[in-house]
Amino acid sequence: MTMTDSPPATDIAHADSAAAVASPVAGLYEALTSTDHKIIGRLWLRAGVLMLIGAVALGVLLGFERVDGASTDIFGGDNAYFQVWALYRIGLALLVAAPLFIGLAMVVAPMQVGSTNIAFPRAALASAWGFMIGAVIMIVAVLAGGGWGAVDQASGDERDAVALTLVGMAMVVISLLLGALCVATTVVSMRVKGMTLLRAPLFAWSMLVASAVWLLTLPVLLANLLIAYVDLHNGPGTFGGGLSGDLSIYGQVDWLVQQPQVYAFAIPVLGVLGSIVPVTAGVRAGRHGLSMGLIGFFGLLSVGAWAQPYFQPTSDAVVRYDEKFVYIAFGIAAILPVLGALGGAADALFRGRNNFAGLPPAHVLGALGAGLLLLVGTAAGVARVVEPFELGDRVTTSGVMNLVLFSAIAAAVAGMWFWAPKIGGSELPPMMGRLVAVSLIGGGLLLGGAQVVNGFFETSVVPLVAPTDDVGDALNVVSLLGMLLIAVGVLGLVAALGKALRSTETAADDPWGGHTLEWATATPPPPGNFAEAPALVTSEAPLLDAPTDEGGEP
Amino acid sequence: MFTTGFKFFFGTGVALATAGVLYGYTTGGNHMGPLSLGWKGGVGEHVGYGLLVGLGVTAMGVALTLIFFRDADPADQADYMGVDDIAPSAPVTASPWPIVGAFGVGTMAVGLVLNTAVFITGLVIVGAVAIEWMMDAWADRATGDPAANRALRNRIMAPIEIPAAGTALVAVGVLAVSRIFLNVSPLGAVVIAGVVAVVILGVGVLGALDVKMNRNIATGLALVVGVVVLGGGVWATVDGEREFHPHEIEGEEGHGGDHAEDDGEDHAEDDGEHSDGDTDSE
Repeated sequence: MTMTDSPPATDIAHADSAAAVASPVAGLYEALTSTDHKIIGRLWLRAGVLMLIGAVALGVLLGFERVDGASTDIFGGDNAYFQVWALYRIGLALLVAAPLFIGLAMVVAPMQVGSTNIAFPRAALASAWGFMIGAVIMIVAVLAGGGWGAVDQASGDERDAVALTLVGMAMVVISLLLGALCVATTVVSMRVKGMTLLRAPLFAWSMLVASAVWLLTLPVLLANLLIAYVDLHNGPGTFGGGLSGDLSIYGQVDWLVQQPQVYAFAIPVLGVLGSIVPVTAGVRAGRHGLSMGLIGFFGLLSVGAWAQPYFQPTSDAVVRYDEKFVYIAFGIAAILPVLGALGGAADALFRGRNNFAGLPPAHVLGALGAGLLLLVGTAAGVARVVEPFELGDRVTTSGVMNLVLFSAIAAAVAGMWFWAPKIGGSELPPMMGRLVAVSLIGGGLLLGGAQVVNGFFETSVVPLVAPTDDVGDALNVVSLLGMLLIAVGVLGLVAALGKALRSTETAADDPWGGHTLEWATATPPPPGNFAEAPALVTSEAPLLDAPTDEGGEP
Repeated sequence: MFTTGFKFFFGTGVALATAGVLYGYTTGGNHMGPLSLGWKGGVGEHVGYGLLVGLGVTAMGVALTLIFFRDADPADQADYMGVDDIAPSAPVTASPWPIVGAFGVGTMAVGLVLNTAVFITGLVIVGAVAIEWMMDAWADRATGDPAANRALRNRIMAPIEIPAAGTALVAVGVLAVSRIFLNVSPLGAVVIAGVVAVVILGVGVLGALDVKMNRNIATGLALVVGVVVLGGGVWATVDGEREFHPHEIEGEEGHGGDHAEDDGEDHAEDDGEHSDGDTDSE
């Protein structure tokens, strides 16, 4: 069998699939109730972008507040400052990074594996609406004086708002789990004939790994929330979550955005990288199995529900979990799969160097930049777990979180540019895409990098504690600049999406010369995705190895 | 012959019923009690026995339903319909139940914290959605023909849905409108009643003339009317009833409520408390 690096032309018509049942209604009703995976995925993506705007706005305010650490001028009080800080951190993971990837996967993964729809389409739709309703409850409750416990006694009267924060967050987590379950089931059980799991596209595989890690770890977060809720209603109990004027509730959920768990939100970064770079370089991805192994290894290292600081022993006689071998080994090893994935991307770029002309496309910039951010984030994570530095309680923790989560966001945005024809039917503006990619990655590096370095100057992770050093103040200014740069990128993203929404031009079916099955569909994909069932898949790049018209041989 | 769904549910039913009978004997049952549902002898621990046997019978009932409708077995369906092959069906039809269910769960979440009545409302919504969702899921795969599936589903559910939805709609509408009438001034109540009457008349005239309207416009209008009525009712409930001034009618002491100036009953002033209507005439 001859292996080629350019896909043969496909002649799949735009006709409805025989397996698809067209929706009998259209318009507003369909937008709210459709069980087509592309429409559901777009709901998730829109919700994620909306939350991203809110999170970045909060981040800018927090940045200004942190520059003048001596007082809380903007938020008007320590407790309000703390609540917004906590909302930003938890929101960036649960309301932005995870939904963006679930939305992208809901649109792309079924097509990648040759399925006509996502598994459990109605559950997928329920997950999208449940997420939005839960997010609104959670955000409104925090703004109404709730949150995750109080740093002062002033919030003692806001018990209901705190409880609403907890139930809203639980609803968000359950919805994310339901969405992840639909994606994972699709990849596991709805692959087209011939597509073994080892031939699954890297993005679909990375979402399967991410979904598995989320399904394994986020129920533990639900248990944390349940404990906090029971304690809240029955007075400070065993775990002390009764608004006793400390961070007892937040302390039980903060592990979500600390390493290793925070890496779980960045697992699909490696899948995006592996899907985009070889296609754009115009070469077959090398060592597909190794890439899958690296993604799986990164997923394994990001299982972090066991590493909860709130429950660690306080006795000096007992070794803390973050001083144990497993935690340190996980922290150090996490950089290896990221290095491997970036090495694979570099190899593809090197082999395909003759295919490049002009500026690199936005999605390549975004994917490579996201990989770079993740590399810096995991490297900072290595520094954080190495004992002599003692960075565990310092702002380096926030630096690792910001680097990793903005890596995830940048990768999701790169994916939106790459798969835009399949998501919305038209391409996103390329120049604006480059601006967005550079802003997100540059801003992420400035924001997270400055925080990582700031930890070496003994600046605390707690926002209410001012830096002890002038350099710390200067680095806070650098972090603020980084956040402002990210805000520019987000504005660019919104403008680009608005422009694409108004566009009447339909993109080509396969504008990049893709290797995987989603590029064999029409643009925009019809209900049921494929006009006829895809041919027998014989490799991880089915469009490169598809049988030709002459019969049999590619 | 026997479909997959029938085998699964019938097997489950037999296993549960057998477990129930064994449980009935091992927890103190005697003679033919566990086999005769307690008619000829005792059944031991009643709750567990009843639960297991009940679930078993239910599962067997579901199994019989499935075999009757030839559940989703392509070969059986093809044989039943007299065709060679049945195209696989993918349920991509729009469904309102996911969004309604999410709304119900959100209502439960808020009610859990703030108000038991709200929680129960959410629970009722989620329960109704669960039933509708199950029926839709079953009907999607009842035959290979989506139109036939829809017709089958509607034949079973419409006799339940239409009266239930109509009752709920009327109850909520009456409750909301009554709160609005009790909130606004007497003249305002008359005006609103007039407007409502004109709207109902207008809708009736449009229906009689068979005027065609875009589905989206109709949906949007219905949504706006629903939001206005419901929102107005909630706002009026929160704002409270208007101030009433009941007065005493000569010779009918204590029965002023029937002839009050604002044709309301005796109410405490503006604090939401209701008097008994017999003693506090002014």
